[in-house]
Amino acid sequence: MFNQFGSTAETLSKASAAVLRIGTDAHLYDDPEDVNIAPLLDSKFESEKCEALKRLLALIAQGFDVSNFFPQVVKNVASQSSEVKKLVYLYLLHYAEKRPNEALLSINYFQKDLGDPNPLVRAWALRTMAGIRLHVIAPLALAAVGKCARDPAVYVRKCAANALPKLHDLRLEEHAPSIEELVGILLNDHSPGVVGAAAAAFTCICPNNFKLIGKNYKKLCQILPDVEEWGQILLIGTLLRYVVARHGLVRESLMLSLHGLDSNGFYEKDGLVSDKGDGDKSDSFDANLVSLVSKCYIEGPDEYLSRSNCVDTVASSLDSKDTTSVGDNEDVKILLQCTSPLLWSNNSAVLLAAAGVQWIMAPLEDVKRIVKPLLFLLRSSTASKYVVLCNILVFAKAVPSLFAPHFEDFFICSSDAYQVKAHKLEMLSLIATTSSISSILREFEDYIKDPDRRFAADTVAAIGLCAKRLPEIPTACLNGLLALVKQESFAGDLELVDGEAGVLVQAVMSIQTIIERDPLSHEKVIIQLFRSLDSVKVAAARATIIWMVGVYCSLGHIIPKMLTTITKYLAWSFKSEASETKLQILNTAAKVLISGEVEDFQMLKKIVLYVLELGECDLNYDVRDRTRFLKKMLSYKLACHEPAEDSVASQENIAEHVVEHVFGRKLKPFSPLNLHNRFYLPGSLSQIVLHAAPGYEPLPKPCSFVFEEHDQLSDSDRQREAISDLNGSQESSETMDEDGSSEYDSESYNGSEFSSDGDERNEANDAADPLIQFSEITVSTDQEELRSKRALDLWLDEESSTSNQTPSALDRNQSSYAKISIGDIGSRVKPKSYTLLDPGNGNGLKIDYTFLSEVSTASPLHVCVEVLFQNSSTEPILEVNLEDEEAMNVSDSAEQTLVGKANASYNNVPTLIPMEELSCLEPGQSAKRLIQVRFHHHLLPMRLSLHYNGKKVPVKLRPDLGYLVKPYSITIQEFLATESRLPGMFEYSRRCTFTDHVKDTRMENGKDRFLSICESITLKVLSNSNLHLVSVDLPVANTLEDATGLRLRFSSKILSSEIPLLITITVQGKCNEDLNLTVKINCEETVFGLNLLNRIANFMVETSSLAS
Amino acid sequence: MLQCIFLLSDSGEVMLEKQLTGHRVDRSICAWFWDQADSFKSFPVIASPTHYLFQIVRDGITFLACTQVEMPPLMAIEFLCRVADVLSDYLGGLNEDLVKDNFIIVYELLDEMIDNGFPLTTEPNILREMIAPPNLVSKMLSVVTGNASNVSDTLPSGTGSCVPWRPTDPKYSSNEVYVDLVEEMDAIVNRDGELVKCEIYGQVQMSSQLTGFPDLTLSFANPSVLEDMRFHPCVRFRPWESHQILSFVPPDGQFKLMSYRVKKLKNTPLYVKPQITSDSGACRVSVLVGIRSDPEKTIESITLSFQLPHCVSSADLSSNHGTVTILSNKTCTWTIGRIPSDKTPCLSGTLALETGLERLHVYPTFKVGFKIMGIALSGLRIEKLDLKTIPPRLYKGFRAQTRAGEFDVRL
Repeated sequence: MFNQFGSTAETLSKASAAVLRIGTDAHLYDDPEDVNIAPLLDSKFESEKCEALKRLLALIAQGFDVSNFFPQVVKNVASQSSEVKKLVYLYLLHYAEKRPNEALLSINYFQKDLGDPNPLVRAWALRTMAGIRLHVIAPLALAAVGKCARDPAVYVRKCAANALPKLHDLRLEEHAPSIEELVGILLNDHSPGVVGAAAAAFTCICPNNFKLIGKNYKKLCQILPDVEEWGQILLIGTLLRYVVARHGLVRESLMLSLHGLDSNGFYEKDGLVSDKGDGDKSDSFDANLVSLVSKCYIEGPDEYLSRSNCVDTVASSLDSKDTTSVGDNEDVKILLQCTSPLLWSNNSAVLLAAAGVQWIMAPLEDVKRIVKPLLFLLRSSTASKYVVLCNILVFAKAVPSLFAPHFEDFFICSSDAYQVKAHKLEMLSLIATTSSISSILREFEDYIKDPDRRFAADTVAAIGLCAKRLPEIPTACLNGLLALVKQESFAGDLELVDGEAGVLVQAVMSIQTIIERDPLSHEKVIIQLFRSLDSVKVAAARATIIWMVGVYCSLGHIIPKMLTTITKYLAWSFKSEASETKLQILNTAAKVLISGEVEDFQMLKKIVLYVLELGECDLNYDVRDRTRFLKKMLSYKLACHEPAEDSVASQENIAEHVVEHVFGRKLKPFSPLNLHNRFYLPGSLSQIVLHAAPGYEPLPKPCSFVFEEHDQLSDSDRQREAISDLNGSQESSETMDEDGSSEYDSESYNGSEFSSDGDERNEANDAADPLIQFSEITVSTDQEELRSKRALDLWLDEESSTSNQTPSALDRNQSSYAKISIGDIGSRVKPKSYTLLDPGNGNGLKIDYTFLSEVSTASPLHVCVEVLFQNSSTEPILEVNLEDEEAMNVSDSAEQTLVGKANASYNNVPTLIPMEELSCLEPGQSAKRLIQVRFHHHLLPMRLSLHYNGKKVPVKLRPDLGYLVKPYSITIQEFLATESRLPGMFEYSRRCTFTDHVKDTRMENGKDRFLSICESITLKVLSNSNLHLVSVDLPVANTLEDATGLRLRFSSKILSSEIPLLITITVQGKCNEDLNLTVKINCEETVFGLNLLNRIANFMVETSSLAS
Repeated sequence: MLQCIFLLSDSGEVMLEKQLTGHRVDRSICAWFWDQADSFKSFPVIASPTHYLFQIVRDGITFLACTQVEMPPLMAIEFLCRVADVLSDYLGGLNEDLVKDNFIIVYELLDEMIDNGFPLTTEPNILREMIAPPNLVSKMLSVVTGNASNVSDTLPSGTGSCVPWRPTDPKYSSNEVYVDLVEEMDAIVNRDGELVKCEIYGQVQMSSQLTGFPDLTLSFANPSVLEDMRFHPCVRFRPWESHQILSFVPPDGQFKLMSYRVKKLKNTPLYVKPQITSDSGACRVSVLVGIRSDPEKTIESITLSFQLPHCVSSADLSSNHGTVTILSNKTCTWTIGRIPSDKTPCLSGTLALETGLERLHVYPTFKVGFKIMGIALSGLRIEKLDLKTIPPRLYKGFRAQTRAGEFDVRL
């Protein structure tokens, strides 16, 4: 009947479980492949797509490879549903690295989403784009991060900070400086959430770039309590490292307490001892250990290895000049102040990190404030309990008195995991004092009766350690242990439980440790142990006892008398022993023989010979080897007849010496220092696994970082920050280049001379507000989506010939085109000029530069730049010249010469073909010079140094993407043919508005409107880039008002790679109103093309006064 | 930073994998992990030949995180604990079926909680706004319409504010705030029947449903009894340092405001007197349980559980009150409930030892469980809870309860 009931209950519970599963995704996980996934992905219903994606995720969860669905999934990235989007992102991130080519298809959508007004969409797009980790898109991702780092939404900025390590992970050498710059910008953010993430990025990317921290150290300290817990963990570490690198360790701290810096009676006034009262002075802290710990924190693996060769040189190597004091160092004081409330944090990792700072930096008397919070952590989850205990153990090893009063916290509960129990035992044996030992021993007695025998064995070992540390207690311990040996040997008789033997062995070992302290007074114990040998059945325990007899055979009065009997017994039992014990019997026999204090020497000799004979025919070869070795060694002893008989032969004398050395040596005191003489920073992974994990870094060398403080710096910095905020939406290639933390590192830096300031201000003026740009893109969303999807389809299917990429929307109205050519426009092209140096910063020297369309004479990689110098001051300026900064550095340091040479030999031409020097520039005079520059990267500025009046000023020459191409003259047929070869992923387009023509058409009313539109567009394009105008298509059979269908084609080749790049601009809109342009680029070099596309779209939007 | 998170079922099956960085971790690491000996496997931090593993086990589910580089191990462990908390909160518990049935939610949550191996959004209140927890309505909806998105379209407002734990402007018609003192008593009674250690580990749990941006202060009548404390990030440190006042802007909904410890208590509410005599292969056991110091409230759900030593071959135990169950793994549980007024509950019986054993040389430890409603045994008292601006229709409530934590009585 019960059975029946049971079965109903089972079905009931099954039924209720089934009810619970309704509406969940259970069926998808159970049978992800019960339907065909592919058609679902192409479905037009969001719900079906969603289901398909869920099935794919289920397969991923179960470990199947479903990357073959990649192309179909990527298409869905355009979905408007947030759930589909999220699922696609999850899938994409899982496989993007496997399918880089297809992953590229999604880039357009990320770009679009990055401009979405919804911050969540922007954040998702950024996270995914940076997360797919493809080298090709790294520059785009970096630009996107740069933009998002200035996003108005905190969440997006936080994601931008998180994205930086992803980019750093790709090991992009050329982008490293800009990534670090962004870290600096984000560290300076006013929102605590962003700072936390930025601290994480800092730790990953440039943990030793203390300049970034130095700039806003105080602010970071103040913001620390408000930072999110996870950020706090890493920020605390960063701040600690900064302070050590900048100011060194604290003189009053525990770390330096023993370095003899403070020799005026530290021990006497030591707060630890007087506070706790019950710790006797000798173990208030272990002097050697503390200095070893502090050394370990600082030294790297190399020093560690060199140190391990000579263990004794633990003594101080730190100079007093590398130290500081809490009293007069503001930075240290702030650090301690801002981390101490974090000892109340709810997050154990934060707490431990804060405790680590106090441990290393706080004055000795304040260190104890970490004790209670740390102990409180012992009440958290099992896993964190273990980690915390590992760290507490190190603290306690160095300063046992710190934890001594709190021994009760380490008492063991039955629910503790075994590792926790073992660590607690170690703790107890470390911190036991004369006043607490009695309670601790009472606890230990309880533990010995614990059913977990492994734990009981550990307890016995801990008793041994306690007895060793505290000389007062051994007698009590010994009796207990002896009783235990008796009891255990009795229980162990049955060998019912595996752990039992361990307890016995440990008991014998513990007794041995106690005896070792003072063997003479424990003579009887040894005898007692030997008497119990009969009942001890465990080989390891027997071996230890026999070994003890051997070692102490010449001790006291009773043992020497018994030796013959003992050896007899051993010889008798030899046959039945385990080989471990046999080896010890052999050793002991030899030792006894040598000790020579035996009454009946002849008898003994016979017994030893007997044992040796037995040993020689043992089954175990180790035993046989040992026997032969001993026989040879002892031959002189065995040959002689009296123990004290002097052997005459010198050879025998040598043998005697050897024997004396091998067996007669006294035991060396065992030093625990040599066991684990490597410590790692508190809270680190390395400290738990006890080896340096990859990426572990010790504290920086004290005072290794020299910080140059300039009062102006912070001001100008703030100013620059404000500018860069304004600048936020500038075209991507420019946003990432601004601000130069790298500019601070030059020794000759002078706060008042900011070469690039003027330049930036200039940019700031014509920069658009971030939000404006977002909205601009959103306006054009629909159309673009249509187009891109089409391109994608084409690329995937590779079916149709793609000669005509015109959007279908446009095809409707136009049936034919007229091709026209615009003749004499070259004369009206007026290239845009940029400012290199503002007269305000250059003592009246103004320098502008313009990119020229001429081909460089030096190499095809060079770009000609015309530099215009103007003296607007009242005094003449002498010796003006521009030089490559890197070339300068070459002469500066030998190390960099190598790098420089490598570069030079690689390219054979210098990056800068210098200009003629201007010897003198009179007031009001201006002069033009030509320089030729080879840019390392199409987005990164080139650093030049400007010399004038004997001064050197760093300036930045920003590349203009439009001039990194050269005109490529082809016919329209060739153009179309090339275009058709570059479909799909090599084609990208963007939309923008164009307004220049409005003013233009009004002014010259008589002219043909289309023509003037064409002219103003061409003018605009050619003024900003170096292209060849291939053809202009005019719509025919259309109203004169409607410019829709006007199409201009430009062609060019990329300077560096000679890859053709085709640009098509299609116009839409009324002649008198703002026009909508669709700019399309076909190019194999995706990244360059995308960047140029952005550049074009940006300059088309700018209203310029040039269109006259 | 973390590279991958695996969720393993209690049979070692990989239920979920979430790769976090570009350095993907093959799931064969889980097989390696599972094949390790139990004593090694139970370490929270494991150095495998290829990766460092962090693990926590919650309700039979192993959360395994991998990394190859140095990182604070507690950060990983604490994060995994947070994940486990959030998941069990979302799924209404944790077990293999629940995880599998809601794997999409687990994926979505993990994706929000960690980005590139670094925790992103872990505040439960914010997560709830981003990803709706499964509830009956959404389940029904998904059955009926086949589609119910649980991913929010908008960014929770809390992410941008300076109090990330709170949505910017929640509105409630009735404003309620409840404070619960939940205490756990840890005690050790040694084999001589002496109380070695007795302390309280307590939490101040709050549930707040308040309109707008409330600023609360909570003060205790006797803050000096508190030995150690840890605070929710919302608590301001300064007022506590100077006046021992908790001043904070609370999260919306349930949260743990602080946890504290009160040490060196003199008494436990219950006494447990075990006796055992063993002779010639059999043991007589008797355990008495009674009230030592009356807390003036009923002590409820008293239980006593212990593990019989390995060398016990069979046990015959009975009690004069409550029920005794012995499971196959030799765990013995005595459920007492409330102490009756007329008699002292007593468990007695005999244990038969394995043949050959004369006497018992290892002794079990009794774990005591109890619950007392309406009292905080630490003696901590809440003085008052103030709001800076008092909203209309405000209800304040206070409760307290104490239960047994690690209450060990050794035999």
